[in-house]
Amino acid sequence: MKFTLNIWRQKGPDEGGRFVTYEARDVSSGMSFLEMLDSVNQGLIAKGEEPVAFEQDCREGICGSCSLVINGIPHGPDRGITTCQLYMRRFPDGAVIIIEPWRARAFPIIKDLVVDRRALDRIMQAGGYISAHTGGAVDGNVLLISKDQAETAMDAASCIGCGACVAACKNASPALFVGAKVSHLALLPQGKPERTRRVKAMLEAVDREGFGSCSNQNECEAVCPKRISVRFIATLNREYLRAGVVESGLPAEPESPHAEST
Amino acid sequence: MTRPSHHFQSTVGSKVVMALSGLGLMIYVIFHMLGNLQVFEGPHALNAYAAFLRDMPILLWTTRIGLLSLATLHIVLAIQLTLRNRHARPIAYAVHEYRQASFASRTMAASGLVLLLFIVFHLLHLTAGVIDPSAVDRLDVGGHHDIYGKLVHAFQNPIIVALYVAGQLGLGLHLTHAVTSSIQTLGLEHAAFNRLFKAAGPTVALVVVLGNVAIIMAIFLGIVRG
Repeated sequence: MKFTLNIWRQKGPDEGGRFVTYEARDVSSGMSFLEMLDSVNQGLIAKGEEPVAFEQDCREGICGSCSLVINGIPHGPDRGITTCQLYMRRFPDGAVIIIEPWRARAFPIIKDLVVDRRALDRIMQAGGYISAHTGGAVDGNVLLISKDQAETAMDAASCIGCGACVAACKNASPALFVGAKVSHLALLPQGKPERTRRVKAMLEAVDREGFGSCSNQNECEAVCPKRISVRFIATLNREYLRAGVVESGLPAEPESPHAEST
Repeated sequence: MTRPSHHFQSTVGSKVVMALSGLGLMIYVIFHMLGNLQVFEGPHALNAYAAFLRDMPILLWTTRIGLLSLATLHIVLAIQLTLRNRHARPIAYAVHEYRQASFASRTMAASGLVLLLFIVFHLLHLTAGVIDPSAVDRLDVGGHHDIYGKLVHAFQNPIIVALYVAGQLGLGLHLTHAVTSSIQTLGLEHAAFNRLFKAAGPTVALVVVLGNVAIIMAIFLGIVRG
């Protein structure tokens, strides 16, 4: 098979970018999308040109490294897969394929198709963790969690943090990502101590990073490689409202610990 | 510890306020439609209803001021969020394909603008009465203001009918996404109710638009006469 590729090339974060056309020849229908790009890069290296930079790691759909907006759809035309799980047989022979990076202010381009997704890490650092006590290992089955709750938490926890939700959203909103993380931890007893603080801190981080807000178009759900449901966005909103109510019940002005000594 | 007001200054907080103000306006629109359906009961019923509302100035003005505040809040937040959202993607995609976003959800800003223009026109036309000077304000046999006669006069004009029907289409399109989206923004989801929530927007939109258009068309087609 052969394809015409229009690929976004950009030398660095502060440089302008543009589309460059490449021909991909002798492509096997069994090649994955990334293998096809590898073979194009081999050709570029052989000609002494700079290869196209793109992110990849596990190549089995679990690491969340690969990205690429292919013909206007993050992770390409198939649902529920990452770009590395997309095969060239999915495209008609001779097709023109347009390849762009994730585009969002919060995801600055590092080079070509590689974007800086550390904004998602910073959101996690703001509250996407649990407090773990030191000491002896806890006996199994001490914390009882119902099957339904465990399954729902697992559905949310299957997020691999690839950022396709941000890429697909017209507002570049990470609501599905944050919703999945907040729901996953709010559903389990281990996540309860930070439950109120977490959702506030993570949503504050979202605003700080310059992401947009959710318009409930559900485009994120359609491109999510793990098919995470937008119900977790509703859960996120509910957790946030709950946090507002719970927090306002706390004392408004706690006494200063040093009040007596002054 | 933060104040609740701070809580609503975040984007999710703004969305919640938008959803609540929008739902408030939606409730008004439903009752507005139900009240106006009394045109089918004849001039006496509608004029008496209008007089009944005018006889309660505190209720009337509380509603008017409330609606104005809700609409202002809704519009200001919509503009704020839209600007922020545009800012979040400085370079647009060369190709962008929607996978499941509804037409209504993609045209919220446009349908909202159509709706705003229509509301301004509607207020100038039937509330203030400055658009059409040929409409005469007179009393009916019961001594009430003849709102019925005003309506019949207005909707015999094809241009007015076209503008009102266009306004209703804007309203329907806006409500189709708005109601379902508000439910999601308020964090309501449940496996047993999700189908109901999804259907809420289109259902409210259909009922309101059908009710309002029925009034307009009944007069235009001569089914309801002066």
